[in-house]
Amino acid sequence: MSIEANNISKRFGQFVALDNVDLEIPSGELVALLGPSGSGKTTLLRVIAGLEFADAGTVRFDGRDISDRTARERRVGFVFQHYALFRHMTVFENIAFGLRVRPREARPSKKQIQAKVHELLKLIQLETLAQRYPSQLSGGQRQRVALARALAVEPSVLLLDEPFGALDAKVRMELRRWLRQLHDEIHVTSVFVTHDQEEALEVADRVVVMNHGRIEQIGSPEEVYNQPATPFVYNFLGNVNLFHGRIDGGTTYIHERETGHVVYVRPHLLEIDRQPNGGSHFRARIKHINAAGPLVKVEAVAEWGDPVHIEMSQERFRDLQLIKDEAVFVIPKDVKVFANHEA
Amino acid sequence: MATIFPLRSFGLASDRAAQATTEGAWVRWSLIAVAVVFLGVFLFMPLAVVFASALAKGVSVYFAALREPDALAAIRLTLIAAGIAVPMNLIFGVAAAWAIGKFEFFGKSFLVTLIDLPFAVSPVVSGLIYVLIFGLQGLMGPWLASHDVKIIFAVPGIVLATVFVTFPFVARELIPLVQAQGNEEEEAALTLGASGWQTFFRVTLPNIKWGLLYGVILCNARAMGEFGAVSVVSGHIRSRTNTMPLHIEILYNEYQFAPAFAVASLLALLALVTLLAKSIVEWKSRQQTKQQELFATRQTATPTSISSAGANAA
Repeated sequence: MSIEANNISKRFGQFVALDNVDLEIPSGELVALLGPSGSGKTTLLRVIAGLEFADAGTVRFDGRDISDRTARERRVGFVFQHYALFRHMTVFENIAFGLRVRPREARPSKKQIQAKVHELLKLIQLETLAQRYPSQLSGGQRQRVALARALAVEPSVLLLDEPFGALDAKVRMELRRWLRQLHDEIHVTSVFVTHDQEEALEVADRVVVMNHGRIEQIGSPEEVYNQPATPFVYNFLGNVNLFHGRIDGGTTYIHERETGHVVYVRPHLLEIDRQPNGGSHFRARIKHINAAGPLVKVEAVAEWGDPVHIEMSQERFRDLQLIKDEAVFVIPKDVKVFANHEA
Repeated sequence: MATIFPLRSFGLASDRAAQATTEGAWVRWSLIAVAVVFLGVFLFMPLAVVFASALAKGVSVYFAALREPDALAAIRLTLIAAGIAVPMNLIFGVAAAWAIGKFEFFGKSFLVTLIDLPFAVSPVVSGLIYVLIFGLQGLMGPWLASHDVKIIFAVPGIVLATVFVTFPFVARELIPLVQAQGNEEEEAALTLGASGWQTFFRVTLPNIKWGLLYGVILCNARAMGEFGAVSVVSGHIRSRTNTMPLHIEILYNEYQFAPAFAVASLLALLALVTLLAKSIVEWKSRQQTKQQELFATRQTATPTSISSAGANAA
């Protein structure tokens, strides 16, 4: 089912959580709402779910206006950051809840419920834990139960609010790959909220980057990462070096007669060499080297005194044999220039 | 030997730690003695005296005092007052806790203060308030009299006073509990298609049941034992507006000590039963959380990997 949100605005007292937001999600897509805390991403998700009502704007499912419908009527699957499992019910009862509360004429038989729950338990690989209580499960298991519970009612859309936010790094990684696989299997239109750019870029078909209650950019993970529309998106999706400069006849000048332009360069798009090699370059002095991890992170000071972060492969680092306090040339391979310096 | 050695040194270390954090034997025993004497004089002795005095003139006098029509009427009225006040406060308390714990609204802190009012006001004053409102000379007195409705010096007044005095017990017990549990489970239930009532009976109520039971037990104990407020509105009409505490006072003032203590022993028994029930409820709810924690730690000790799960699901 496709989701359409038009001109959604929402305030909490003086705080503007959503400011005229427009969003269209085609049927079957897995979309990430990405942004820092307070950017309005969770509010947008809750407005779509019907757990919150917008001050203005409409929400449509498959073209039908459902703005006035309650969460109960919208038939969405909602997964909460802290699972929100019913603590006094077993895993089995949690998953069966949505089927048991149906009006009598729409309620499946005991046998059908049992079959459905076991099918879902199989899907989340927790068949042996059906009689456990939520407090007896690990965080990752709880979140999978929450997902199964949401899927039990065969929701038209699946909404996940920071589904992996409360889990530790390793479980988080496993679970998000599993979510991607699951989505490829069941194809229910899904929206998940996250503040983790890596998670959004890895899992989603499309990423919606939000800031201050507005959408900054909508695009595929490659698009938002490689062609950021705004300085904010560039900044939020990965580490970045920020230089002031100007543009003159198609040429970018860093730190020369500044005209309010801001030059953004990702650390891995800066190269270090001992020769200037003819092209664009600036001088810098190595301050600190961190060789732990797949990339070597070098911290240098540019000739005008600003810190510069550079990343290079371990091979390149071995070839160069860099040492601390050494003077080198830094060669930008790709830069992005934005006119205003609000980021 | 190597295994014994660390054990012994551990024992020594813990002894030394114990010495560092406790007082000498003399201080310890005198503090314990003070506590035991205090409990004996102020709690156990009075309790023993109640039952001893009640049975001082024999078992037949004891049961005769309880079977006397005035006593039976008092017991019945007490049961009626509690029987109305407790369910009412159960509903009020749950509704108030639900509203205060789950929602934000204007005047919330004022409402919380209002709920505490019966605790802050002397019961005699609360009784007087009802006399001033519903009494013959009171605000609504003439109107009530002209419609032949009797509240003061009648059963409705006693019930009203009891409801007022016992109002905070259930609400006070539940508000922190409901607040701590938050809204998420209810929201989850709503998104799963549950109606408001289904959400309440299937999700909210089971989560607060122990706290609710605890509040009801305390509320009931106070409803049956209330003296001050009820005394003011009752008028002490024998066999008609006397509750157990009032009946005891009348008997006592008439120097009928054995019957007075016989009825009092019933209230004392109620107190003991209440304490027992309260302990059981506390023990039950603690047991529940403890068991869940135990399982939780066992679970984290043997984490199951999901990577295989993910591969299979795909």
